[in-house]
Amino acid sequence: MATIELRNISMLYGANGTQHTALDNVNLKIREGEFLSLIGPSGCGKSTIIDLVSGLRVPTKGSVLIDDEPVSKPGPDRGTVFQDYSLFPWMTSFENICFAIEHTQGVHSRSAVENQARKYLEIVGLAKSGDSYPNTLSGGMRQRISIARMFSMNPKVFLMDEPFGALDSLNRIYMQDLLLHLWSERDEHKTVLFVTHDVDEALLLSDRIAVMSPSPGVIKEVIDVPFPRPRCRKSLGATAEYLSLKSHLLSVLYCEMMGELAKQEQNFRGLA
Amino acid sequence: MTKEIPRIAILVYILLAATLVLDVLIPAGPKQAVHDTSIFFGVLLLLAILFTAELFVHRKNVRATTDLFLVIVTILFFWELLFGKMSLIDPLLFPGPARVFAVFGTDWPLMLYGMMGSLGIMATGYFLALTAAISLGLYIGWRRRLYDVAYPIAKAVSPIPPTVYLPYAIVLLPSFATASVFLIFIGSFWPILVGTIYGVFSVDHRIINSARTLGLSDAQMIRRILLPGAMPSIFSGAMIALIMSFISITVAEMIAATSGLGWYIEYNHQFANYDKVIAGMILISLVVIAVMYIFDQVQKHYLRWQNV
Repeated sequence: MATIELRNISMLYGANGTQHTALDNVNLKIREGEFLSLIGPSGCGKSTIIDLVSGLRVPTKGSVLIDDEPVSKPGPDRGTVFQDYSLFPWMTSFENICFAIEHTQGVHSRSAVENQARKYLEIVGLAKSGDSYPNTLSGGMRQRISIARMFSMNPKVFLMDEPFGALDSLNRIYMQDLLLHLWSERDEHKTVLFVTHDVDEALLLSDRIAVMSPSPGVIKEVIDVPFPRPRCRKSLGATAEYLSLKSHLLSVLYCEMMGELAKQEQNFRGLA
Repeated sequence: MTKEIPRIAILVYILLAATLVLDVLIPAGPKQAVHDTSIFFGVLLLLAILFTAELFVHRKNVRATTDLFLVIVTILFFWELLFGKMSLIDPLLFPGPARVFAVFGTDWPLMLYGMMGSLGIMATGYFLALTAAISLGLYIGWRRRLYDVAYPIAKAVSPIPPTVYLPYAIVLLPSFATASVFLIFIGSFWPILVGTIYGVFSVDHRIINSARTLGLSDAQMIRRILLPGAMPSIFSGAMIALIMSFISITVAEMIAATSGLGWYIEYNHQFANYDKVIAGMILISLVVIAVMYIFDQVQKHYLRWQNV
């Protein structure tokens, strides 16, 4: 249980002269046990925010606070899942999870580590794939292992950078439900910062959604997602409230694109 | 994979039999007299047994095996026919296979002793180089500033043939063995170092980031992430180093040793014992094949996570 706070964050890339502003004065506070999604077109600085919170990068201005403590470097209090590069290819699924437990939990007894790892493999339904190397698994299975690894680390917060972005839509549905189930089945919910570009994914999973827009990266709007939990994908998608929220999100997201789209349409008409 | 036995397989047996018949029935040419042809017969028999085992027991990629054996027995047959029986080149300079293989029967203690000596020196230098170059390379690859200095130097020094150091090594070091170990160490060190540094650099940045989020210490990072991540490139460096070592030890022995395989060839060359020179060459190639096979198996084990 922890809060994440971004305070006056600005991030500049590149050498003097060709500077590119990736983030411009971003402020955001994620409450304890809250599931917050960052959504926006590519290049809006979503992943940069994950890098800053995980401590992989240091902001040019401002600071990241976890439980009011400033973040200066990566640490085991934050569990991270990336799109497809979280696992170490030279370790089996089982070894990957053991490795994470060993280095973040301070568990020294080998058998305790292995028992825990086995448990987490089981909860993502991959007890049989423990001896497989990541290269031999499908993208969906790899992400399940990554999520098992993140849960096994028992961090204060979860950071997820488009974790299902490389999966096909069926696998993605399966993974969203798995994540939702694992996250909500515990008594205390972990604080989650989740990056996606999929509006439905954000609506299904989040308590709040922060919409970002690019160049420079800013947070345009933060939207509450009021649906009660546990949420059911089927019934949720049919409600009028869901549809109106979705169309609102899409219009915020793509208002810059609308002009472009209209132009393109005119071009098509001209051709026809 | 072809499981079916190709028709030309019979040709292998025919050629083996023909070589045997040739050797038994046709009297040896002048200066080709061999006291003991049993080893040559043994080699022919061994080839037949190996081939049969590959065809009917092992049965893995039968066509490739057949083609390979066909090339070997064809060479053996024409060697026996053209040089053993017809003496196309002066048999003193290029004797037939029966004479060459007979050498193994008489000289095997000397050859075995020389082989052990050569391999011992090689292994010492090579493993010293492996240890030093990998640990140094990992650290250099990890520390940007060290890398900027070390990589250009390594690139400039690594193409210098190690045998160039031989005159100095012999003068400065107390014995031939230490000089050779040094030579092999130097020859192996650079390729492995360059391979390791390059390997550390080619570890995907996203994987390093993933490791950093676990909060690893520098030592853990190097041992558990950079070392296995750099392993594919370390192995290609180690392969070049191994080939260099073979060349270095053979050349060094030819120049300065009093035992070993390179010495054996050079020594017999001085006495115009060309049957022994060729036998030595065959032995060296067999040793190289065996060592390379072991290397491949080790590599397969360590890189088993790659495209399985």
